[in-house]
Amino acid sequence: MKIRHAAVDDVPAAADLIVRTKRLNNEFDPFFAVVSDVKPRAERYVKDSLGKSDRLLLVASVGPKIVGVVRAEIRERLFYEPSIEGFITDFYVLPEYRRKALGNQILQRASSELKGMGAQLIVAEVPSQNEIAVRFYTKLKFRSIVQHFGTSR
Amino acid sequence: MAKPRRKDDPSEKAMEYSKFYGGKVGFAPKVPVRSLNDFSIWYTPGVAAVSKAIQADPELSFEYTGRWNTVAIVTDGTRVLGLGNIGPEGAMPVMEGKALIYNYLGGVNAIPLPVRVGDEEELISFVKALEPSLGGVNLEDIESPKCFEVLERLRSEMSIPVWHDDQQGTAGVILAALFNALELTGRELKGTRIVFLGTGAANMAAEKLLKEAGADPKDITMVDSKGILHAEREDMDQLSLRNKWKYQVAIETNGDRRTGRLRDALAGADVLVAASAQGPDVVKRDDIMAMKGRAIAFFLANPVPEMLPPDAVAAGAEIVATGRSDYPNQVNNSLLFPAIFRGALDVRAKTITDRMVIDAAHELADFDKERKGISKTHILPTMVEWEVYVRVATAVGQSAIKEGQARKSLSRKEALHHAALMIRHARTTMGVLRRSGVIPGPPA
Repeated sequence: MKIRHAAVDDVPAAADLIVRTKRLNNEFDPFFAVVSDVKPRAERYVKDSLGKSDRLLLVASVGPKIVGVVRAEIRERLFYEPSIEGFITDFYVLPEYRRKALGNQILQRASSELKGMGAQLIVAEVPSQNEIAVRFYTKLKFRSIVQHFGTSR
Repeated sequence: MAKPRRKDDPSEKAMEYSKFYGGKVGFAPKVPVRSLNDFSIWYTPGVAAVSKAIQADPELSFEYTGRWNTVAIVTDGTRVLGLGNIGPEGAMPVMEGKALIYNYLGGVNAIPLPVRVGDEEELISFVKALEPSLGGVNLEDIESPKCFEVLERLRSEMSIPVWHDDQQGTAGVILAALFNALELTGRELKGTRIVFLGTGAANMAAEKLLKEAGADPKDITMVDSKGILHAEREDMDQLSLRNKWKYQVAIETNGDRRTGRLRDALAGADVLVAASAQGPDVVKRDDIMAMKGRAIAFFLANPVPEMLPPDAVAAGAEIVATGRSDYPNQVNNSLLFPAIFRGALDVRAKTITDRMVIDAAHELADFDKERKGISKTHILPTMVEWEVYVRVATAVGQSAIKEGQARKSLSRKEALHHAALMIRHARTTMGVLRRSGVIPGPPA
């Protein structure tokens, strides 16, 4: 497996994986119902992440195939120390490549890239009900630091 | 207005006869009652000695009670025939029918037992609680994917055979039919490209069994209503959460990474096994024409196969099988399950392994090879040949012994003898009961 910065050519494949993360979130929680034009939105989202000093977009490939993606951004924490966080917004590995420690490798690489960009803390955001994601980060010694509460009532 | 049914319509008869007989099976004594004094042997006080002996060694319950020959046919009524979720009461006529087949073709004492349960955990604990009374369990007509979880759990948590006929039974007969079809068309299992249409209980189990029997899963392609199943399909995450069996199959099959519809899967394929939706035009002429020469096609939807056999033959299929008795090559569970349990019960088996099913499939496939021979339109024996049950039962028992799953060891000769005795006994009993008028003829 190779991990590298995404290029313009990777946009469709990376966007496809981002769409899958969103759909997966919806499997766990109806507050993550996916919009009908999710595909073009994901492409725009991925494109906007390219070539910016405060954004990170890595893709993992096996042969010619993109099998994983991680997107993150550098955020300032106005009131707290450490004051710069590397914030992972999206992370996905294709099902058949899971359970082979690839996810861990991709995460390690993203963390070190983010640290190189100034991050002192690595944070990942996942829906609380997404047990696959929760299990993944918990296993890698992340702990829950913020909780979002939602209601539509 | 509904069309009036013809008098010889089986539905009409089933309604009339069911009311007349008030149920298809019942319990009959196995011991003589010479006088009421005999109850001091069969019941208290004599029976206490037997109970104490069994208490000291519960395995004796397989020898001193009828447990060894008793199977419960358990269903929650969630997927009965093609009728869907009709509930446990609605399922009863079907389970009674199954019990009758168990009795008549296998000499097995089968109890129809539809149950009202909330979820799969409740079903699992109910079946587990039955274990002390039974030599085996036949699960029936439970919806997929629930049935996969229930079978897997019960197989691992119980020490008597648990069998889901819609999975293992159908898969076993498919395998037997396939063995002979492959031989007739000069193929071997290894290297044969097999396409399954439908990912319900039967095909999922057939895929698993084929793998056990030596097929390379990479040569297998599964197709469902969304098209070809492959590791990158968009619903994979959903499957990982809701149907881990299908998810696993998606990852391990389809080695050449085909995508698309049935026809894309069938291009250059050797075998099609369809167990999907009511036909007749689910599979089309062009689908069959996309397959390799000397194609093998099984259409198992009942009552209307996915494609009618004459159409499949016209499109170039060489061997065609269906679930129906009015076409050649009937792939019918009833060829297997009575024999599977006859064999398993005779050796007091602890489980029915996949190997035992494969050995049964080989025996079923071989049966007519040595007799009348097999041909394109006769790849399997039919239910009328009762000796086939004796032979398959023996193969199953011997396989259980080899697998280390038998409580009781029988030589092949003893097993043949015992299976024949039990099956003949069931047929004799039917004859005696009918002749004596205990079972009266049906209303005219």
